[in-house]
Amino acid sequence: MSRPAHKRPEYHKINKDLFVLTYGALVAQLCKDYEKDEDVNKYLDKMGYSIGTRLVEDFLARSCVRRCHSYSEIIDIIAQVAFKMYLGTTPSVTCHNSSRNEFSLILHKNPLAEFIEELPAGRSALCYCNLLCGIIRGALEMVHLAADVTFLQDRLKGDNVTEIGITFLKKVDDKKYRRKK
Amino acid sequence: MSRQANRGTESKKMSSELFTLTYGALVTQLCKDYENDEDVNKQLDRMGYNIGVRLIEDFLARSNVGRCHDFRETADVIAKVAFKMYLGITPSITNWSPAGDEFSLILENNPLVDFVELPDNHSALIYSNLLCGVLRGALEMVQMAVEAKFVQDTLKGDGVTEIRMRFIRRIEDNLPAGEE
Repeated sequence: MSRPAHKRPEYHKINKDLFVLTYGALVAQLCKDYEKDEDVNKYLDKMGYSIGTRLVEDFLARSCVRRCHSYSEIIDIIAQVAFKMYLGTTPSVTCHNSSRNEFSLILHKNPLAEFIEELPAGRSALCYCNLLCGIIRGALEMVHLAADVTFLQDRLKGDNVTEIGITFLKKVDDKKYRRKK
Repeated sequence: MSRQANRGTESKKMSSELFTLTYGALVTQLCKDYENDEDVNKQLDRMGYNIGVRLIEDFLARSNVGRCHDFRETADVIAKVAFKMYLGITPSITNWSPAGDEFSLILENNPLVDFVELPDNHSALIYSNLLCGVLRGALEMVQMAVEAKFVQDTLKGDGVTEIRMRFIRRIEDNLPAGEE
């Protein structure tokens, strides 16, 4: 019997709560696996990177985004299209410097932490939503943009907002990129 | 300074791909943590149970579904309201037992398994077993002890994905459900 052809996935709208609770189960599992907060953070980022490299294909197929001409244009697409599509929220955007390669996404609510009020006991250095940093970094790298992505503020740590800092590094060299394929 | 209302930028709706890929990362992590598929299945069910216990509060608050008076009504709510709300699909309900205490949910497509191929060394893995735990946990909070299990799975070559639901008993009110 031949294996049935893999159907093209249908696009589904889902309620965010199941995702948020499932994400909580993932973080809880990693906290069991690793003693140190920085290891959990590292692993969430690594998982997110892997997710981002695949998610960006879906995003480009569905969003009709064409080539971007500036970093601020890319940031606007991340904030207004991608976050809306995949997390149901639209962060606001700020730019930090005159060379316009350092930006922040400001989230007034932490989209992945809706069901938790504070970090688990003994986990003060945990970056609960660090998956998001990896996702953004992985997705950008697939379109030849190297970036550092980190949480600068986190409501779970007592800050007023949750802030994701994105610093664009230099463009990934095309030849290097091609060689990796 | 008063806190700004965030209305208008928040939505309960999101596209399923991020959830599907995140769920995949969870399953991958459990496969690393546990040596055999049976333990992964058990852990997915346990996690799902804990999720279901909390998700039901959200569901009842948002859906305006009243108390169901029998298992048939419960089946309709699960298939037509809950699956639609949380997974964007509407399974069909089939194979009722004569006593009306067992039915099947048939999923023509399962968004959890988009992008997924089951490797050969995980033939006993029930990839979407979280869903069985979610169903069991949620129903326990409305005083119904049920068994939920996958009896067909497209990841294993079946034509559809089938979850068999069996009513065990109504739970007495004075026994609160707790976390496993």
